[in-house]
Order: sequence, then C-alpha cells, then structure tokens
Amino acid sequence: MKRIYLGALFLLHFVCNNYGFSQGFQVNFLSQRQQGMGLAGSAAPYDASALFCNPGSTVFLDENNLVAGVTPVFGNVMFVDSSTQTAYRSNSPVGTPFSMYAMFQLKPAAKLKFGLSINTPFGSTIQYEDNWIGRFALTRLELKAIFIQPTFAYRIADHIGIGGGFVISKGKVNLQKDIPVQDSSGTYGHAELAGKAIGFGYNLGIYFNPSKQLSVGLSYRSKINMNLPNGEATFTVPNALAANFPNGGFTGSLPLPSVTTLGFAYHPCSAFTVVLDINRVGWKAYDTLAFDYATNTSSLSDTKSPRLYKSIFAFRSGVEIKPCKSLALRIGGGYGFCPVPNGYVTPETPDGNRIYGTLGIGYSFCEKFCIDASFYYTKITRSDTNLETNLSGTYTTIALAPGLSISYKW
Amino acid sequence: MVKRNSFFKQIVFVCLFGITLTSCKPKENLLPNSPGEINFQQFVAIGDGNTAGYMDDALYQYGQQNSLGSILQTQLQLVGAGEVYLPLMGSSNIGTNSSLLSKLILGYKTDCLGATGLSPVRFAQQGEVASLTSSVYSSQNKYSNFGVPGLRMIDMVSTAFGNINLPQHNAFFARMSKDQFNLPGSGEYSSVQENIFDGGYPTFCSIYLGIEDVLPYARSGATTNPMSPLLGLPGIGFEESFAALADGFSVQNIKAVVGTIPDITKMPYFTTIPYNGLNLDAEKAASLNQIYGPLGFSFIVGSNPFMIEDPNAGTFGVRPMVEGELILLSVPLDSMKCHQYGSVYPLRDEFVLTLAELQVIRNQTLAYNQVIRQYSNLYGFALAETADFYAKLYDGFVYNGVSMSAKFVSGGAYSLDGIHLNPRGNALLANVFINAINKTYKSTIPFANALFYSSTYFP
Repeated sequence: MKRIYLGALFLLHFVCNNYGFSQGFQVNFLSQRQQGMGLAGSAAPYDASALFCNPGSTVFLDENNLVAGVTPVFGNVMFVDSSTQTAYRSNSPVGTPFSMYAMFQLKPAAKLKFGLSINTPFGSTIQYEDNWIGRFALTRLELKAIFIQPTFAYRIADHIGIGGGFVISKGKVNLQKDIPVQDSSGTYGHAELAGKAIGFGYNLGIYFNPSKQLSVGLSYRSKINMNLPNGEATFTVPNALAANFPNGGFTGSLPLPSVTTLGFAYHPCSAFTVVLDINRVGWKAYDTLAFDYATNTSSLSDTKSPRLYKSIFAFRSGVEIKPCKSLALRIGGGYGFCPVPNGYVTPETPDGNRIYGTLGIGYSFCEKFCIDASFYYTKITRSDTNLETNLSGTYTTIALAPGLSISYKW
Repeated sequence: MVKRNSFFKQIVFVCLFGITLTSCKPKENLLPNSPGEINFQQFVAIGDGNTAGYMDDALYQYGQQNSLGSILQTQLQLVGAGEVYLPLMGSSNIGTNSSLLSKLILGYKTDCLGATGLSPVRFAQQGEVASLTSSVYSSQNKYSNFGVPGLRMIDMVSTAFGNINLPQHNAFFARMSKDQFNLPGSGEYSSVQENIFDGGYPTFCSIYLGIEDVLPYARSGATTNPMSPLLGLPGIGFEESFAALADGFSVQNIKAVVGTIPDITKMPYFTTIPYNGLNLDAEKAASLNQIYGPLGFSFIVGSNPFMIEDPNAGTFGVRPMVEGELILLSVPLDSMKCHQYGSVYPLRDEFVLTLAELQVIRNQTLAYNQVIRQYSNLYGFALAETADFYAKLYDGFVYNGVSMSAKFVSGGAYSLDGIHLNPRGNALLANVFINAINKTYKSTIPFANALFYSSTYFP
C-alpha cells in the first residue's frame, strides 16, 4: 500500500515541478482535518494535533492519541520578466511538511493532559531554473525548521481548558546565488551560505466551551528568532578574485513570526461542524535580512537587505459533514493577506494575497484507528519591482498539496 | 481487505485529481510582440565601433556577435527583422585594431615596483592582419551591420573612406565594401551610404554616429585630430552630413532610430586616474616644495594634484591640475609610479584634458546633439537619448541584482579599452534604442536581457 502511494507521488513529481509552499515562509499544514476544512479548526479539537493548534483544547479529548502525517507539496513558481517578456520557472524539490503528535492522560477523563508535538510550521525550498534572470538575486533557498514542543494542558473548569508548551526550533538555512563575475570561460561565480539555526519560543492556548454547540479558542505562538551562529559561506569565483571573496564564517538570524489565532466552532448536531479561524501573523518581525561575514573585503561587505514585512490577518473557514459515524467529508477555504509590501517582493518568497480551497476526508476503521486525507490548492499572482535588485515582473505560483495522516487512540 | 481497498481508492483519487489539474503549471501570458508602424524586414545597423562590436581595443568576432547592432537586431527579429549578417573577423577571436594590435584581455602584469596585479594585456603578439587585408564582400548577401570602427558622421558620403590608395582610408570599411580592394585607377570607390543602399534599400536603420567626430580629438589630449566642424558641405560639416543622410533616407521612405552622442569624457578612459592621485610622504613633499617653491606651488603630505604642462600657465608652462581635469588612460603608468612622472616631470599635454579643453569637447558634443535632435524630429525618426544612458551609467545603477557603473573593469559595462562597451553594456544600450523605437513607432519590442550577455572575464 505504501509502495503504491509513493509511486503515485513519484508520478506527480513529473507532472508538476515542485517547491515548498508557504505563506511568507509559513506552512500551515499542521493537521489533516484542518487541512480539509480550509486550514481552520483550532476551536474544534479532533486529535492530538490540538497540542499545537490550541494546547488548551486538548483537555476535552478523553483519550491517549498518536498521530503522524505528511503533506507533500507540489508547486510551481513562474516569473515573467516585464522588460524582456520572458518566463522563468522554478524546479524546486517536493516539499514535505510533516507532523507527529503524541498526547497522553494518566487516567480516563483526567484534568491534566501532556504530550509532545513535532512538526514543521515554517520552511520553504525554492529553486529557480538555470540561468534565470534573477540568478544574481537568488538561485536556491532552503529554509527548514522543525518545532519540538513538549506540552501540558489542564482543565481549570468544566468548560475551560488552558495549555502551554515550550518550543525548541531546530533549523537549517541554505541560500545560493550566482555572483556576477565571470572566469576565463565565461562561467559565473557562485555563493552558498549555509548554516544550522536554533531558536526557542512558546505556545499558549485557552479553550472555552460554553455550550455543546459552540466552542471558542484563543492561542498564541510566540515569535522565534532563528540564530545562525556558525554559518559557512562558500564562494566559487575566478582565481584572480579569490582574495576578494574569502570563504569563511558568517552569522545571521531569521525571525519566525508569532501567530495568534482566534477560533470558533459550531456544531449544531454531531453530523455537522462549521469552523472559523482568524489568524494574526506577526510578520512585522521580519524587518531586515542581515548577513555578517567574518572577513570583509572590498567586494564582500556585510549585507542588510530590507524586508519590511507587515503583520497580516488571514481568515480560514470550513465545514465537516459526517454522513455516517465512520466517515467525515470536509471542504473549506480561506483568504490570507500578503506580508510582503510593494517593492520588497523577492524570489525567496514570491508571495501575494491568496485565496485557496481545500477538500478532506476522514475514515475510522474502528474505534482506535483512523485515517485522514486532505487536498489543498491555491494560485497566487504578484507583480512587483524590487527596490534593491530592480528585478521587475510577475510571479505566478500554483501549489497543490495532498496530505495524509494516521491516528491511533486508546 | 475491503477497508484496504477503500484506502487505496482514496489515494488514487487524490493523485488523479492532482494529475488532471492541468493548471498545475502557470500559463505564460506574455505580451504580444508587435512591430507597430515599422517594417523591420530589411534592417541595417549603421554606426561606429559600438555598432560594429569593436571592444577591448580591437574588432574581433565575439565582439561583433555581441555588438550594439547585433543585439538590437536580435530583438528586432522578434518583430520581423531578417538574419544578422556580419562582416565577421576570424574565428580565433584575436582581433585587431587599426594599429594591428590584438584585443585586450584581463591578465597579470608586474609593474615597476615589482607588484603583480590584474591589468589589461594584449591577447596576442600581433592582431589579425589577414582579416584587414582580405575582402569579405559578397554580392549575394548584404550585411545587416554597417558598423565601422572609426566611422564619423562626416564619413558617410565620403568616397575616400574606403579608398585603400589614400592614407586616410578605413581598413575595416574597405574589407566589407563592394569595391573589393579596387586596384589603383581601376574604378570608382563607393561611400558607406552607397554600400548601404546597394542591392536594395533598407526598410529600417539604427544610426549611432557622432562619437568618432569628437573622440579622436579627446584621445589625443586635445592636441591633434580636430573635431568635425559643425558647418560645411556634406563630407565636411557635421550638420550637412547628417542632413544629407536623413534626407536620403526620407526620399526612400526609410525610417530610423538615431542615437544622441554621450559625454565621452565620462568614459573610464578619461576618469580612471584621479587628478589628485599624487600621494606624497614628508620627504617627497619637501623635495617637490624645493623644486616648485620658486614657482609658487606647494605640496603637502598625502594627496596632491599631479603636475602638468600647460603652455598658458605662466613663464614655465607648468601647473598643478585642478578638480575636474582629466588624465587619459594612455599615460605611462610605470613612469608615474616609479619615475616621478606627474610630479618632478610634469605630464605632457597629450595625456591631459584641461578644463578649457573639456569645455570645447562638451560644447561640440552638445552642438552635434542639437543637430541630431533637430533633423530626427524633422524626418520623424525615433531618438535614442544614449547620452542619458551613459550619464546614468556614470552614476551607477542596479540591473536585475547586478551593479553596473562606469568604473574601469569592475563597473561591468565597459570593455577593457575604457571607451567601448562590452557585450552587457551593448545590450543595455540596445535597450535604449528599443525603448525609443517602441515609443515613437507604437511597437512592442521586448528588451534584451543584458545578463545573457557577458561582461569582463577574469583569469
């Protein structure tokens, strides 16, 4: 079964070129049920993914639960340069955001829950075709962050739960671009900045369940500064310029913004649930992308590129219908404002305001074992002239993401 | 087993859904390329070394293929222009200039102080002599590029220009002229314009002339090679020459894009060596003060202006340079570094442009440009303000993430002779012409991607 699944993915890989999909570089593929319902549902706890989506809501799940899921992301970025009217495409590898959750209680209907969440709420891998017009701005960017979050939650009243977790984020960055100096055969130089990053933060949630039909959740995930203390810069340049581009260390940092979510869930009967989430993402934290090289020369000075992102709102909504007890059908969609202001769109995150749609399905094989799958689709168009590089044109992004998770509870 | 099947179906469903989404790849909705009001079919590029692809102080094949004329025509091919057909030099890419020297490349040179550094050096002992002495004319196929290194506006109608029996003839033109090296007395010699009109009129031309009407004077340090006079008959005066050319085009209903002349004194050939680059320690400053003290000139520790010859400067005809005056790249640098040239021994007139000389050069350029604008407007030609582009380059700008400037070698736009642009510079310049065509003739010709064209190669 697994082999067939991977085979199908392999096929998809050839149909679409791929890239890691993100808003800014945020990835909202956290729970398959939410992915079926327009990425919303923080106020409708379903399984152990609630540890991350709203830790406070876990207290109303009377179970031990293990969940593992993955969402391969297939996407395409196309850049049409406005002055030459030429299209360039990305050929990024497939993105694989994943999540693993384990939630426990010491006895049935316990007030205290604890658990561990491991997932990838931020990340992006984007690679552009060879010799594209923006090669001196970026050829490839790989951002990876894995969040490890031990979590505790407590039911403080019959209808109120609170929870919190400490987040350790381990990541890596690999940024590559060409350098506009040519050797005697005309080959351009190349720069690769790579490093491991680490950051710390926290995740808090409160969940309120005033009636059987309505629930409300508020959660806050803090900003995490990913620090690269020991980055390594590697330059490939003509021999005559080797002294101008010394290989060596660099330091930098990248903020992963805070996410505040206000969620509502309404389920008038057990067969029908409507969810709405309002996100506030603190992208304002991404003000500057700075690299501080250990050795500076006339050709290699420390860089401070303004990003000036804005904090944004996103609205997400979806419904779930259960035609029978073991089957759930889901549909949803949402709208997210773009954090990247005009003049600051880069090939790293060719982001724009986006509308997306999702579908999902859940099936319980028995009391203990169920499977959830989802499908996500979006198309984003953004035109801009970058003030730093003067790269001017229109980015069109299409991304689709089929996801799957399995859950075991007892 | 049943459950397994349902799961399998689910996966297949999801995957098929993905595959059938044909909109997985964004579609290219590119703007259509339109020729507007122009028939570009018979395009001919007319001009001097920039149009020909002269760069790195030589005409060589790779340069020709990446010339202003070639790059412009490559873009015009998107709206109907014909094949680029060039009077190619040898494929060995040695190239030659009129003094039979090969092209310059960036190599290593050890100076008089024993320091080895990057410097333009000749690629070969000798230039491509054979290419200059063999005709490449073919009556079957007319060249689409009549760029001729050294071609002045006033040479367009000159029959002496291609006459190899005359000392002032131009070998780059003679080799491509239909005259095919006429033997002495065996026939008439034809002008550049006659060659362009030979065997069918062009439908559209680019004309980028005028730099060579002023450049040789500037390169001589304003000592020899007088600039083309403004007035005089076609072949003598700049205005009448251009008027005759424009009128000849108008009669045949040939449309054109015409470039204005940049301020050549902002080219790296004139701007690389600073006027006040004479750096002195206490000892040297004292010794120079002893020498020049009686003349009233004093020197300080640190940066000082170089000393130059100037016949108008007092009894001894020597004075320090003032801000704004320029030293030419032709100056013997080793002598400056090691033999007190520019201090104890003043720089000769031929290596320096004084403020008065610069004024004459700039005024003449302005006057030429006035003529170019006036007649271009009169005949409805598109006007490419290349002067603005060169000025922008002098200030520096960023093009698709690449810094471009008029700095020698590192600026990325000029070739190693410090006067002619390199392929990337030519592409940026071609875009100025394309912009002018689009604006005047309602065409939508896409701009060239200048990053597709190379810059200086480093060893």
